[in-house]
Amino acid sequence: MNISVQYFAVFREQAGRDTEDLTTSAATAGELFAEISTRHGFADSVERCKVAINDELASWTTSLSDGDVVLFFPPVAGG
Amino acid sequence: MSDDLSRYHRQTLLPGIGESGQRRLDESCAVILGCGALGSLAADLLARAGVGHLKIVDRDFVELTNLQRQLLFDERDVADAIPKAEAARRRLSRINSSIRVTAIVDDLNHTNIERHAEGADVLIDGLDNFETRYLANDFAVSRGVPYVYGGAVGTVGASYAVLPHTAGGDMPWESAAHGNLASPCLRCLFEEAPPPGSMPTCDTAGVLSPVITTIASFEVAEAIKILTRNYENVSRSMLNIDLWNNTISQLKVSRAYEDGNCPCCKQRRFDYLEGELGSGATTLCGRDAVQLTHRQDAPNLDLGAIAAQLRSHGDVVSSRHMLRAAITDNGKPYSLSVFPDGRAIVHGTAEASVARSIYAKFVGN
Repeated sequence: MNISVQYFAVFREQAGRDTEDLTTSAATAGELFAEISTRHGFADSVERCKVAINDELASWTTSLSDGDVVLFFPPVAGG
Repeated sequence: MSDDLSRYHRQTLLPGIGESGQRRLDESCAVILGCGALGSLAADLLARAGVGHLKIVDRDFVELTNLQRQLLFDERDVADAIPKAEAARRRLSRINSSIRVTAIVDDLNHTNIERHAEGADVLIDGLDNFETRYLANDFAVSRGVPYVYGGAVGTVGASYAVLPHTAGGDMPWESAAHGNLASPCLRCLFEEAPPPGSMPTCDTAGVLSPVITTIASFEVAEAIKILTRNYENVSRSMLNIDLWNNTISQLKVSRAYEDGNCPCCKQRRFDYLEGELGSGATTLCGRDAVQLTHRQDAPNLDLGAIAAQLRSHGDVVSSRHMLRAAITDNGKPYSLSVFPDGRAIVHGTAEASVARSIYAKFVGN
């Protein structure tokens, strides 16, 4: 299926891009993160970040559908 | 505040506020937790808006490197070497002499948050570390006080307003005309605090000042809605922005409460408020040093990555067993030793608040 992935904060820095359109066989958000994490060398694990699908917070076990927009984001510290 | 509301005319014109809303602001107390960049701008806006009592809690002093983004302070505050909370109080009293401002110079922790946040109608997050954010979140949920989270570092920022689910379910936002408007808490969204040393800080990664003003403005907008009891207008989304790379997202988060099993607002476990999680500080007698330890298990720190972040501040020596960095903070030299389990020793001070501040700025927690 075709997924559009958005990267925020440290994920953007490590991926070197804001967005990426890709074809994947990952069934869930967690599987997609694992697939991408290996390719981009993400330092963060799923315990330390969150995923949103189509602008709604999702869990790592949420199923993906063709055309989904998936955002990976960490908490923002500092202030 | 006097009965004369004329100075707030442009605000009372707003249908959501009006004269009744303005009087509610006057009768309100906002507690600003941390008076760095986010906190100082939030304090400025809330003072101008006419919030009747502002309590400002901060442990730090004004430094020259703050002035790039901390809009309440100026070079005289740096020269006078006064605490940020007190500098803010002085400045705010000149901006709006009709409100009350209380400056609290202290290191906010589980032993004193009850006292410092007493009487709060809303908690405003101006903090620089997640450990204290989770403490504030615990206090908010356990006492039924709304909490507005804000964070900013580098070119990114985030904000989110918590209308807490309470044990009694009897807060005004839980029985509003529009239904139960309670929202997930910070631990519903991020169950565990990021491990020490895993997050960039403004002192190690820098910060773009417009990110601060944007996030603080969102925080204050939510606070004004809350204090004027316009709960139905409080955002149900978490804001994430990157002003350098031009991305803005507003993420719907309402389902995080129903779908999750939050230790805080569902299980009613207040680990940070009860001192079960967080850090401890011990003054090392006769060594002019403070040791900081963490109560929770965490993966080993990447000392190499932290060393790379600290090299712009001074000499750094690191191995896989320990990192030692020479740093200067507020014009004073310190030696910071960090160990893989997150433990640290700050040499050059016997004060826990100074050591915690240095750890939050240069390691991150």
